[in-house]
Parts: sequence; structure tokens; C-alpha cells
Amino acid sequence: MADEEKPASSPPPAGEPPKAAAPKPAAAAAGAHVPPKPPPAMAATPWESALTESLKQAFGDRISQYSTYLGQNFIVANAEALDSILDFLKLEADFDYLVDITAVDYPKLEKRFELVYILYSFASNERVRVKIHVADGVKAPSVVHVHLGANWLEREVFDMFGVEFEGHPDMRRILLPEEWTGFPLRKEYSILQQDDRWVKENLGIESGH
Amino acid sequence: MAQSTFLDANELVLNMGPQHPSTHGVLRVILKLDGETVTGTECVIGYLHRGVEKIAENRTYIQFAPYVDRMDYVAAVSNGLGYCLAIEKLLNIEAPPRAQAVRVILTELNRITSHLLWLGTHALDIGAITPVFYCFRDREEALKIFENYCGARLTTHAFRIGGLQYEVYDGFEQEVRAFCDMFIPKVDEYEELLTNNRIWVNRLKGVGVLSGEECKEYGVTGPVLRASGVKWDLRKAQPYSGYEQYDFEIPTAQNGDTYDRYTVRMEEMRQSVRIMRQAVDKIPSGPIMAKMSKVVKPPVGEAYVSIEAPKGELGYYVVSDNSTQPYRVRVRPPSFVNLQALDRMVRGGLIADVVAIIGTLDIVLGEVDR
Amino acid sequence: MVKLLKTIFLWDLLQGLWVTFRNQNPKYICTEQYPSERPKVAERYRGAPRLNINPENGETLCIACNLCALACPENLIVVGSARNEETRRKELSYFTYDTSRCMFCGLCEDACPVDALELTQDFELASYTRDGAIWDRQMLEEGPKPSKYLS
Repeated sequence: MADEEKPASSPPPAGEPPKAAAPKPAAAAAGAHVPPKPPPAMAATPWESALTESLKQAFGDRISQYSTYLGQNFIVANAEALDSILDFLKLEADFDYLVDITAVDYPKLEKRFELVYILYSFASNERVRVKIHVADGVKAPSVVHVHLGANWLEREVFDMFGVEFEGHPDMRRILLPEEWTGFPLRKEYSILQQDDRWVKENLGIESGH
Repeated sequence: MAQSTFLDANELVLNMGPQHPSTHGVLRVILKLDGETVTGTECVIGYLHRGVEKIAENRTYIQFAPYVDRMDYVAAVSNGLGYCLAIEKLLNIEAPPRAQAVRVILTELNRITSHLLWLGTHALDIGAITPVFYCFRDREEALKIFENYCGARLTTHAFRIGGLQYEVYDGFEQEVRAFCDMFIPKVDEYEELLTNNRIWVNRLKGVGVLSGEECKEYGVTGPVLRASGVKWDLRKAQPYSGYEQYDFEIPTAQNGDTYDRYTVRMEEMRQSVRIMRQAVDKIPSGPIMAKMSKVVKPPVGEAYVSIEAPKGELGYYVVSDNSTQPYRVRVRPPSFVNLQALDRMVRGGLIADVVAIIGTLDIVLGEVDR
Repeated sequence: MVKLLKTIFLWDLLQGLWVTFRNQNPKYICTEQYPSERPKVAERYRGAPRLNINPENGETLCIACNLCALACPENLIVVGSARNEETRRKELSYFTYDTSRCMFCGLCEDACPVDALELTQDFELASYTRDGAIWDRQMLEEGPKPSKYLS
């Protein structure tokens, strides 16, 4: 009956055409998901406000982009300037609540990881996203000394993407076990690859994928 | 001087969990103790990690919707609402007014069920065994409404991107009204049992104090933040799904201790009933699904949408690459971020208070680990 | 003063006990006597799947369009079809539904254009083997047969 189960999980109902359904061997690096084009296609419009003016004055060309998309503002900054930007936003512009830190993996770009810092200001009821780009193997600056809550969030980014943070007090995996290999949310990490390994180790047979 | 033995060591490391009844799931806390005083903690999480964010990248937008229910499984409707709102934002559409009103009713009902489960288990942790029976009995009434509406009690999958899948059933309004009428006296009853109870008060007052500043520092949201005196609720600050039409208060408290978080949540249940009463009186007629193509394929872009879930700010950061599958879905789980403040709250307290503080944070491990 | 008296005479305790006493009233009993009494589930309950057949001639309603299999997030439905040479129409040859992986989200029944696949009100899905959780076409058409309990 186990043979019965396998076709159910992948070949016949192949889902939508552009599906990530395991391109040949799962080891095929770079872009298992096939992103049609890298991010710049987003129809974002420039963002101008009093805040951007003060940021421009303080940081100059260390912030390369001020944009807004669907009414949500974001800036793209140099990785080195990140902690001073967050510090500035916290102290000067009251963005005192770090909502989330996350990352997006674009394997085709040279600096493949886009780290996204979502900030909120209780005083002005406003959100802003700060984005930086880091290459694989390059450490990003930690912002734990600015926002204490960044501690676990950065650990999670490390756990899922393998982006290390410079100056983080406790850079370990958080959700996955210590001995885990690979970083699950990278695009080349296929879920199927993990299933295959499990089947191989625990059942001693090749998986049907 | 006597030879030092291990008996002289004044530090004890104690494992609490992962299988411990009062860690509400599979949370493991490593406690460093000096006598009965906690001098440090470390949370070990991830026992329930299912890789929801990775699953999202391998499913279509519509297919992923049932999975979000399984993160915070006691507040599945809220999770679904947040996800649907995020995708709707990306598609730049809005659910029709009728769908929004039904969404509000169900989410508020869900807030009540979530808080009831919290109240029952939290009281059980402290040692009050009776409330758990009453809470579950009354929660059952709300779950019956869910079951009648969408066919499932817990992992509801009630909403779809763009609106609702199911039209309300006959008698939905009456049942919701009956629940509202039934429920307010019940809240008073729980309060009679607990609010003045001397054991309850002694166990909770002054325990696990977190100031408003500290809350902001850690990113703690939800009732925990409001109990520390910060009057902030996303339903008021950035209204979604038509919350701006309803008249309700944001309950707050000043001390930021465990007792205050209890009073805030009790008051929140009353406010939820108030919202439901207003919403059920004026469910507009009209379509329940926005006009959109059957294949969900948002344009290239990204959006962060957050809602006020029973536990705090639940956010979805979705990146689209104009395919039928999301490029990246990030869930900002309130429990995960709130749990971070545990160390700050228990440090210097007694080991018995750890149980009370974990209970008061109202974490759901399905959401912490995702 | 009142507070002191209340403390001395254990007012808070008596108040709580009065609540529990009030709840002794039989009208608050809500225990369900499962399995001797089968609970009534909602009309829209999403339980065991069923492949509907046309009650008049016993033929399946399924047109083997494969939409349910495409809609399923877990890819647990396998639809097999063959072309009937006489009528030149695609006909269902086999249908497999793995209930062990199913999370009863209802996307398959939403997708079905002819209301052939349906999640019914049966909820007793346990079986003694894993294979028993994989339902074939015959079982889907007949529905589960839960064992009767002695009562």
C-alpha cells in the first residue's frame, strides 16, 4: 500500500504548472522555486515625507531608496548603517517598537538575502520597513543593543537562512535542533530533499520522488 | 574551612518541560535556581516546529489558508483573517461589507474562546480547578456556532481570500445573540469565583511585573501590553475589516502584573460581546465574495498586514513574485515575541511564580514554533 | 471595616462556593453520552469524504475532472480516468483518498463542479491499520461503517 501512497504525493496531480515539484535531483542548487524575475519589478513609488527628509540629512547616500507600495513605506539601506538607522529612528522619530525581523532569499542576486526590519511608532501610528541586503556568508549587524526584542528574531533568521549577526549575544539555532544541517528557508532547500533523507535513514530505501 | 561538597553549591539547574502540564504545550524552560529564587532562565522551543513558512512556499495561495489555522489553533479564525487580509492587500481588493461583518463576529467569538481557554487553564495552573469546567462548557457554545457556520470547531478554515466561502446559516444571528446574552452573566460568574478570591489575589498580585517601556522594548503586544498601561489595540490604531464602525473600549490596567493581565482579558471578553452585538444587528446584505479571478495571482510586490489576535499583534509579511505560489510568507507570531519577555518577568521571582507567569503570557506553542 | 469582616468571615470563599452550588442545577449538565448516544454534528460538518452516486441508476456523479486533486493542499487525492470508447467520454476508473493525511479543510468539495465529492457528517474514521485510512472508490461511495457499540 505504500506504493499506493507515493503517486498521491507527487506525480499525477502536479499542481499548478510553475510548481516547485522537485526539479530532478533535489540538489539542483539555485532557484528551485523558479522566481521569474528578481524583485525590482515591484511597482513601488517614491516616498517623501518629513521623516525621509531627516533621514536623508542624517544618512545621505547610505540609504539608497525611499519607496512606498500599497501605502506601506520602506527604505533600503546599506548593511553597515543599519544599527545607526534603527537607533536614529528609535530616538529621533519614536519608532520604538521593533515588530519583526525577517529575511527573503533571492538566490539569483549577488547579495542574496534581503533582511527586513519592520518598525512601528506608537506615537505617530506609523509603520516603516528597513531593508538591507547581505551576501551569503557575510555577517549582518545585530540590533539587539537597540531593540532587546531583536534577540530571538535574529536567532530565527539565522536558524532559517544562515545569516549570522555580528554582535549578537547568543547566536544559536532557536527552532531547529542544534545538529540540524542546512537552512530550511533558503530557496535551494527543498522539503522533498529532507523527506528523502528521512526515508533513507529510517526506512533504508530510496524515496520515490 | 570545611571541604566544599556539592551540598554547598547554591545553584540548581532545573528542567521544566517539555512535558509539563503548566507549560501549555511543549515548552521547555531551563531554570537556574538559588533556593526557590529564579536567577536565570532559558527557553528551549521548537518541539512543535512544522515549517509553516516553508510549506507556504510550496503551496498556492488558496491551498496555504488551512495551514495558518494550525499555528495558533485556539484562535484559528484570527489566523485565517490575518492571512486573508494580507493576500487581499497584495491583490488590492477588499472583502464586501457583508463578509467583513461576519468576519468581525467570528473573530470576536474566537477571541472569547481563546480567552476562555486561557482563563480555564491559567486558573488550573494556579490551583483553582472549578473555572476550567465552566470555561469549557461555555466555550462549547461558541464552538457550536463555528461548527454550524463552517463545519469545523477548532481549525475552522472559515474565511477565503476575498471574502467568505459559506453564507451564514439560518439562525446564525439568533444564535450569536443568544450567546451574547448567555455569556455576560457567565463572565460575572468567573469573576465571582476568582477576582476576590484570596488565593488567586495573593498568587497573582505583583507577580511578573512588566512595565510599559519594557513591553515596547521586547515588542510584547496584546493584553500583556495593555495591562502595562499602554492603550494600544490594532483594532483601534489601524482598523481592519470594518472595526472602525464599532464602538468599544480598550481595557487597560496600570500595574502590569499578572493580576492586571487577568482583569484586562476579562474586560476584553465583555468588549468582544459588545462588538458582536453591534455587528450582528447590522449585517449588511450583499455578496460575500469580492470580484476577483479564481486563480489568486497577486502582482509582484510585498505587504505586511497585521491584526489584533487574542494574543497580540499577528502579522503576515507576504512577498509575491506574480506566480500562484507565494514567494515568501513570514508570520509574525505574537506568542513567540511575548515569550521572549519571560526571562525578564521571572528573574528574581519564586519558582512557583514561573507557572503563573507562563500561564499569564497566554502562549500557544503551535504558534511559537510554527 | 466591611473589608475586614469580609476577610474574617471568608466572604470570598463563600461567594465562590455559592457559584459552584448554583451550577449544581441539572439544567447546566452538558455531558454527551458518546458512544452510547451518537452526538449530533452540524449540517456543514466536514468529516469523512464520500463520492456521491446518482440515486437513480447508481452511476457515479464524478466526471474525473481532477479538480479536487489539484485543489488539495496535501495532494492526497488520486483520480484515475479512462476514455470510454463507446461514448467517447472520460470516465472515472479509480479514486483514492488518503484520509490519514487529510486535514478536512474542505477545499476539494469546494472545487468539485458536480458536487460529487463531499465531506459528510461521519466522523468515526479510526481504523486498525494505516492501509485502512486509504480509501478507494468503493469505500468512498459506500461511506464508513462505524462499529456499533454495546450500550
